[in-house]
Amino acid sequence: MSILRSKKSRAISLLSATTLVTMMVVAIPGSAHAAPACDGGLAINTCGGVTSDGAPYVMKVPGNFNGTVVIYSHGYRPNINVPAGIPGYGGYVVNNTPQPGPIAAGNNTAAISYLLGNGYAIAGSGFARQGWNADSAIATDVELIGAFKTKFPTTKHVVAWGESLGGFITQGLAEKHPELIDAAAPMCVADNIGAELTAAGDFLWGVKVLFDPTIKGGNYSAGAAGYGEAMGDLVKFFTVLGKLQAAVSSGAWPDTSSATGKALAAAGVPSRSALLLLGLMAGLPTQSAHFDSISGPTGALKLTFPLAVSPALAILENGANAGGLAVLATHDIELQAGGAVYDNTQTDYRARVANERVVFNAALSGNTVIDALLGALSPLNPDAPRAKGNAAAMAKMNTLQANTGKINVPTITMVGTADPITPAGSSMRIAEAYAAQYASEKAAAIANYKKTKSYVSPQKKLLSIWNTTPAAYTTFDATTGAPITSTPAASGTNHCNFTVDQYLVVAKQLVTAGTTGKFLSGATTATLVRKAKNLSTDPLISIPLMKFYQQ
Amino acid sequence: MFGFNRGKLLVATAVLATGGLTLSAVPAQAFSPHLEVGVSSTEIKLGVTLPMTGTASPGYNKVPGAMKAYFDYVNANGGVNGRKITLVVKDDQYVPTLAVAKTNELILKDKVFALLAPLGTANNKAVAAAVNPGRRGIPVLFVNTGYSGFANKKVYPTTFTMLPSYIVEAKIMAQYLKENYPDKKIGLLYQDDDFGDDALAGFKQAGLNFAIKVPYASGSQGVSGVPATWIGKLSAAGAEVVVLFGVSSATGAALGTAAVMKYAPKWVLGSVGGDATTIKALGVPAGVLYNATGASFLPATTDTTDEYIKLFQDINTTYNKSAVFDNNVLVGMNTAFVTVQALMAAGANPTRKSLIAAIERKGASFASAGLTPLNFSATSHVGFAGYWFGTYGPTGDLKPNGGAYTVYTTDSAGGAVVKSTYKRPAMPAKGLPN
Repeated sequence: MSILRSKKSRAISLLSATTLVTMMVVAIPGSAHAAPACDGGLAINTCGGVTSDGAPYVMKVPGNFNGTVVIYSHGYRPNINVPAGIPGYGGYVVNNTPQPGPIAAGNNTAAISYLLGNGYAIAGSGFARQGWNADSAIATDVELIGAFKTKFPTTKHVVAWGESLGGFITQGLAEKHPELIDAAAPMCVADNIGAELTAAGDFLWGVKVLFDPTIKGGNYSAGAAGYGEAMGDLVKFFTVLGKLQAAVSSGAWPDTSSATGKALAAAGVPSRSALLLLGLMAGLPTQSAHFDSISGPTGALKLTFPLAVSPALAILENGANAGGLAVLATHDIELQAGGAVYDNTQTDYRARVANERVVFNAALSGNTVIDALLGALSPLNPDAPRAKGNAAAMAKMNTLQANTGKINVPTITMVGTADPITPAGSSMRIAEAYAAQYASEKAAAIANYKKTKSYVSPQKKLLSIWNTTPAAYTTFDATTGAPITSTPAASGTNHCNFTVDQYLVVAKQLVTAGTTGKFLSGATTATLVRKAKNLSTDPLISIPLMKFYQQ
Repeated sequence: MFGFNRGKLLVATAVLATGGLTLSAVPAQAFSPHLEVGVSSTEIKLGVTLPMTGTASPGYNKVPGAMKAYFDYVNANGGVNGRKITLVVKDDQYVPTLAVAKTNELILKDKVFALLAPLGTANNKAVAAAVNPGRRGIPVLFVNTGYSGFANKKVYPTTFTMLPSYIVEAKIMAQYLKENYPDKKIGLLYQDDDFGDDALAGFKQAGLNFAIKVPYASGSQGVSGVPATWIGKLSAAGAEVVVLFGVSSATGAALGTAAVMKYAPKWVLGSVGGDATTIKALGVPAGVLYNATGASFLPATTDTTDEYIKLFQDINTTYNKSAVFDNNVLVGMNTAFVTVQALMAAGANPTRKSLIAAIERKGASFASAGLTPLNFSATSHVGFAGYWFGTYGPTGDLKPNGGAYTVYTTDSAGGAVVKSTYKRPAMPAKGLPN
């Protein structure tokens, strides 16, 4: 399926590059919970070991080590193997290969090289358990930091960064253990598991009830049976998305559609409008790797395409990412929690799209169609049963690590404004929490001034960087007018889709803040941001929070 | 604040050190007062987004030229407190996501002082959500849409409307229909979005019942065969009077198709879809409008007895390359005329806050070509609230029924529809506010 190609190649590139980076580590035997074993390299001393929980780690320390180590936390890796042939994830085998830093498209490890070349050490764990592992991963990182300091006692500063779930782990580490790190950079940071599962789960639920009711969507059986159900769901989900993609122009509904779906089809509701509504309900971005919801081909569709079609295609691309994750993460969390954790019995989807239905009215085919779709998705329709979670399992899920957004150490966030997996709203939640925190700190400083006549302005500790999409980027075949989807994903779209230059902006800020307590100057930051392209530090940017927080 | 503006301090020190004896002669601007974003000692920069190209642009793309023409006229006559007004125009092609991008450009790159007359309900909603001018404190002056929701000050604290709301229009239209066609079967063809929802709310408030209501999804008017289905439904229902609450391209499609299908009801057109220039630009002869009923809140564009029309036509000739003087030009010029008064009322060194405060404080007294007053106050961001009805001539010109403007007014809430007693004040000399 072409819409998944970029995501798939991104995943493959990550795995391949990780293997390359850690090949040397594999050659170094490391016993559990022992001091790291090092190869003694003069330029780069590479060490490997295993923390007490069995998580392998890697350390790379340059000969000119300057006393600052940069700890990296990798993102979500499924905790189950995925059979070959399944789009996006097929052939994935669970692994806990340690990853010491971010890798840009094309296996580009220049950000890692920059750090090592400038005297910074790097380290990263592969974590003991894959899947949603924030609690154990934070503990692993704590132990890794201790191991590094013990091995390299000249260490003066520790900074942490990570991507996706690794960003969540990094933020959690900063919230729980600010005494251990001097700065943090959660990139394309995931939100708390409830918010993430709601976004992905709502989309998957909608696809199930309209387009293929045989999708189980959660509440998977125990053991091998549940694994089979989840893998079956992945196949069905991507199959039905393929059918929707093929029918974008005609608006036809998949042959697997529910009775409700077939009734909507008979009433003339285009399937693309239904698909778009599901994406809007879930809070998925309406810009994706190849669809900007702005551009149209030359000719009669110049306006119609961006108004009526492009948003649905964007949801198709983004939904492929979200729905696939929904299956894997739901299965994963259910294993941890002991039962169904997705519950939309109280969700008011009509309220969810109150604004979006106006903005995307044309693509949604007008209010009559929108109301018909929302009616079909209402709890009153027995053919669209809501998913009910297991109370005990949900309670257990809610005991998992939850980040508040409190900023204890200088922190840099960076996220694509159209990231479909970890929506920018997650980073916005941190920004909003910090705005309140800073206001409180400022009020306290003023109160202190009134008492002491000495004013100490609170230091700004959060730098939010937004990876924006280009002004327009959908391209069309000059002959047929068909949109082209073989080009690389546009900046600001897809998941953690950063360039080396963008990683370097974060890296430079991170090590500077970690060693000086302050970010680079405003002028320097502006220059870096401008040169890296498609970045914004606009403090008044408006990004909607995830739908979970809008209910 | 607990600190000094170093720049200010240096300037002030220099002035005191070198020019203390002649202080009284130093112009105020020598003290480098804080100037708001988009305001310099010589310029006030405003920005507008609207469709300038593409199929949605005909008619609307004349509005910026008209606004610029009036601003150029003011600039040639001393500007606003010595500052010239610049209007930055961004083409959003009527695509909401593009409107967001273009508005961001206006704010972050062009650094405009305020947004002026951004067009379209969906586009303004998208911008409000994704750019949030309200949170930024950026004035959004006189949005070019009649969606009633934009007057909600709590949701859109920096936004002011200008056009009467679609609810107001529908309520007044209902009154007109009751008075003139009490025994006729009335049909409604409306755009199936918030535009149409507002109209439905207005008709419902007014207690007008339709024999048939035909919704159309925005954009479907261009799909082959769709307009014929509208006409088929209206005709089958026996509608003798058809109200059209849609955009001009839908008007053209409906009237053109009806003519082909030999269906000839009395057409009553909402203000949005009744622009003859737009209909002509879409390739539909203006003659299809002949004898249809239309509505407006400004004087007729051909009414040269009106001092505003005469002035604006003169300005149009001198500063707008003699563009065809239609309702789009008139709306654009009148919007610019009100904007200049708002900027003047905002003070010698206007800020975004002072501009909003000025409109709230003085906006109700601003002069305008409108035949009903502006309703701005500390609690109301509502502009005009009235309409008169007229009949289209063979060339598409709308003239008031009976030769005189009978203006009705009401509100977007439960207020009654009444004949307006408003007497428009005389235009400021030469159309230059002071």
